[in-house]
Order: sequence, then structure tokens, then C-alpha cells
Amino acid sequence: MLAFALRGVNSTVSQGFALREVSFELPAGYVMGLIGANGAGKTTTIRSLLGMRGVDSGEIELLGHPVPGPVALRQDVGVVLDRGYLVGDWRLAEVERTLRPFYDRWDAARYRELLDGFGLDPRAKVKDLSRGMAMKLMIAVALSHGARLLVLDEPTSGLDPVARDELVGILGDFLLDEGHSVLFSTHITADLDRIGDYLTLMHGGRVVHTGPKDEVLASYRIVRAGPEELTDLVGIELIGPRRTPAGVAALVRTEEAELLGRAVLVEPPTLEEIAVHIGASPARPGRREVAV
Amino acid sequence: MSAVARVAVLHLRTVAPYRAQGLMVFGLIVLVLARTPAGLVPALALLLAPMLAVHPFVIADKAGLDVLHAVLPVPRRAVVLAYYAWALASFLALVTAGAAVAVLLAQLQGQALDPASLATPLTLSWALFGVNIAIQLPLLVRFGYARASVLGTTVPFALVMIAVVRLHLTLGSVQSWLPLFWVLGAVAVAGSAAVAVRLRGLR
Amino acid sequence: MRVVLSNSSGVPLYQQIKDQVALAVLSGELAEGSALPSVRALARDLRISIITTTRAYTELAAGGFIATVPGKGAYVLPLDSALVREQLLRQVEDGLQTALDAARRAGLGREELIELLDGLLQTEHC
Repeated sequence: MLAFALRGVNSTVSQGFALREVSFELPAGYVMGLIGANGAGKTTTIRSLLGMRGVDSGEIELLGHPVPGPVALRQDVGVVLDRGYLVGDWRLAEVERTLRPFYDRWDAARYRELLDGFGLDPRAKVKDLSRGMAMKLMIAVALSHGARLLVLDEPTSGLDPVARDELVGILGDFLLDEGHSVLFSTHITADLDRIGDYLTLMHGGRVVHTGPKDEVLASYRIVRAGPEELTDLVGIELIGPRRTPAGVAALVRTEEAELLGRAVLVEPPTLEEIAVHIGASPARPGRREVAV
Repeated sequence: MSAVARVAVLHLRTVAPYRAQGLMVFGLIVLVLARTPAGLVPALALLLAPMLAVHPFVIADKAGLDVLHAVLPVPRRAVVLAYYAWALASFLALVTAGAAVAVLLAQLQGQALDPASLATPLTLSWALFGVNIAIQLPLLVRFGYARASVLGTTVPFALVMIAVVRLHLTLGSVQSWLPLFWVLGAVAVAGSAAVAVRLRGLR
Repeated sequence: MRVVLSNSSGVPLYQQIKDQVALAVLSGELAEGSALPSVRALARDLRISIITTTRAYTELAAGGFIATVPGKGAYVLPLDSALVREQLLRQVEDGLQTALDAARRAGLGREELIELLDGLLQTEHC
């Protein structure tokens, strides 16, 4: 079963920006990282997936239903955004009283337990929470209504390393259930280096690459050479090359890397390097997406 | 509980933290009109009720509640209709409380205030309130408070004030048209709700 | 179960898990029938991806070290299963080869080597 799938989604946001032919999917039970620089289209993609905005064309499937689908589908989805969406003057106990009537499977005991476990005081006000605590509150809400899919948009931006590590632990607990899945957008690749099962790289409103993490990592090489080298290459595309007087570094596709001579250094890249070089490449109209 | 009722309660909880300010305005109006209790109901209906009706939009804008409304498992239209439910409920609560206080004040001061004599101002207040929110709410639903506030709240308010002045001049002749005013308010609100649901659907 | 992962060893994470669990089974540290954490629990505890952990378990199962029960977890298989015996034989061979290499440099002959081995076996039996 698929947690979700987007198939050929096009959606115009403004004159200068649109999602184009966005396709990727996540099998239920796994974590997918959605990576891209600011403005790559991550948030628009997430809003489309959640049915919060319409699309011009393409299909979206969420937990086995088409989007927009039955309203009850939202019972199963927990949403955590980088900025909160609760009234600042609500106390955490009030948050429960407010949201509880909307959810069939709301578990009050679990909410208390989660607040307690996260070190959140039910008497505290939403506006007084730190960013990390506000994120944990949103997760507590999602887990209390029995969400099967957690969608987190930039949850770690503005979080300190301790809070980010806590989030990784919380997601690990959530994923103990094989029916639970996580979609996690971020520009901080360290979060996904280890726990990500699948990766989707976005750039300029397009999917650049999607698939199991190891496969994505294996399909690129980082190449480093002197300042005069790596020019006039035939059949090899340098992705987001960075040239300095000391030399040049760029990303290349693994099959193309084999064409490079022995004079240059070719290494497996880190996720960070992939994100940096793809983010630095011009967003172009050509079709570069790779289907799963 | 229906989806609309549940969201209406959500709107209530949205403004609940600011009840102290609301009560203060209520008290102030009562204080100002303590000597002329007959004006209390129209004053509340025309000044406080529209403020209360749009307050969920003010908070929603500040707290990003459009996301919450989109994430909750309720139909989009229920969120829109619940704004109307909230507006009507708050109007009803205000005029009821206002009428009770007016009667009480009149009794305390030995004035003769026949509850039946409240009917005319109440009817006019309803019609004016109805027209007012009928114009405001679709704009707020479509554009949000921040973008609609200048146009969406001052224009209806001005229209209503002009109407009040005009009607005041001919209050006597209005009597025979009272049922029409009830219908006018109701039709305005119902039509506005239908428009607002469609506007919401476009997004 | 003890699994210690290095981020800088250059060895893939799944390989590290596989090697350490296999070693623990062979050394008897993990006795036959003892339960291993489920794939998802281990992934959570090690803060690594589920796919990585699944791969380690799949290869351990293919190597005859463990059996996995879908939805439950995994347990250690008896050591005398053919595949593990093969692994042990290979270890013995490796060890003997190392001994032979040292013996050649020391100039020991066949007779002396057998004598040494007999001596070792005797001390173990005492």
C-alpha cells in the first residue's frame, strides 16, 4: 500500500513559479525526506498533497484515496508546519478541548501522556512555547488523533540540535507501527542522512530525483579538479559547479563520472553535497526528473 | 453535533480568550446608555454585534487558523457556514442580554419600557446587522481579515450608518413594514452565505 | 544486544550491524533462540532508517544466523545450521592459515606443527 503518490502534478502558483510534472510516491511504513532549497516547491507540493490547494493537472493519492477526497481522510493525517496554526492564547489543555470534537479516535489519555513525555505543561499558553516545544505540541496533537501519516514541513528549521535529535526519536517511536509513514520536508540534510528511507530532491518546482536513499546517493558522484580542468566535457553534465581559483567541484551522474579521466578526484557525495549542487544549478525547463 | 456546529464552537473558542475586552465594551455601552435604556438593543446590535461577528477572522489571520481549518476533518463549506452561525448566535446572545438589561434598567429608574416597544428597534437592528455581515463575511472569507479589513468593514459600516440616519427620519412609517425588515435581513444573510461558500470553493 | 555504529568507518551501516550481530551469534554472546529487537525498534534505537535495518536483518537471515517473524521480530537460529557451520569452518581455515604463515617464517616443520596442535588440544581437555 502507498502512503501517498503524486503523478504528473502541475500547479501554477504565480507567474514565475509552478510545480511541473511532480511525481513521487512513498510506500506505507517508511520515512521520506523532501529536500530542496527555499523556493524549490516543497511547501506547494505539501499543500497540494494535503488538498489545501488545487492543482492544474495530475493525480494525487493519499492513503488510498484520491485528493481531494473524503473529508474523513483528514482523520488519518497529522500536519506539522514550521509555523504554528493554533491560537496563541489557548492553553494546551484548551487545545485539546478545541480539537477533540473533530476527531473520532481522539485519545485524551495519550495526549496527556505525550505532553508529559515532551515536558509540556497543559497550563502553558501556545504563544509561550519555544519553537521546539510548539513542534512537539503539533506532534502530540497528531499522535493523539491517531494519524497514520505525519506530514512535517520544515519542522526543524529554527530548532537547536537537541530538539532535532528529539524529533528523530519521536519519529522512530511513531514508525514502530508498520502502517505509519512520514513525509518530512527540510533543507537541513543532516536530519535525513540517517533516518530517511526515501528521498525526493526538488529544484525549481520539479522533482530532480526520487527513490530509496541509498539509490539516490549512489546515482551521483562529486568530482573535484584543478581550476583549468573539467572544461569542454562531452557527454558529461556538471551539476551546480562551483569554481574558485583553487579548483572546481561539481556533481555528476554516476554513469557519466566513469567517463572522467583519472586525473580528477571522484568521490561518493554526501546528501548535503547533492543538495548544495542541485540547489546551485539553474532551474531549467528541460525534463530532468527521474521516475521511480 | 453537526460539522457546522462543531466549527461554530471552534470559532467561539477562537475568540474566547478575548472575552474580557468584549465584556468591557458591553459594559461601556450599557453605562453610556444607562439613562436611555430603549437605545441599548440597537446600540449593541449595531456596534458590538458586527465586531463580534468578524472577530474570528481577526484571530484566524493572526494565528494562521486557515491552515487549522484546512487540516481538520470537516468540509470546507462547514467552516464558512460556521462563521455565519457564529455571527447569528452572537447577535442573538447580544440582543437577548441587551433587552434584559434594558428592561432591568428601565425598572430601576421607574421608566415605562414595554417589552413590546423593543420590537421596532430590534427588527431594524436585525435588518441592518444582516445587511452589514452579508457584505462583510464573503469578503473576509475570500480575502482574509488583513486584506479585506479596510474595504470589507468600513464600507458596510458606512452604508449601515447612512441607512440608520435615513430610517431614523421616517421611523414612524417603518412600523407597518416590520415583517419585511425581518425577511430582508434573513434573505441578505442567506444569500451572502451561499455566495461565501462558492467563493471559498474557488480557492 | 550490543550494536555500536561508526559514522566514519566507511563501512555501510547495514554491514556494520550485520557483522556485529553475526559475531555475537558465533561467539555465543547471543544464544540460540534469544530474541532480537524488531527491525523498527532497532532502527529507532540506532536512529537509522528502516530500509538499512531491514537490509541487515535480511542478510543475517540469508546467512542462517537469524530467523525473522513478520510483524514480531527476529530470533537467533541454532548454531549447527549448515550455513553457520560453513562460516565457522572458514574461520578455522583462516586461523590455521595465519598459523601456517607464522610457522613458515619461524621455520617450523610439519611434525612440529602437529605436536603444537596436539599440545594445545591436550591443555584444553585438562
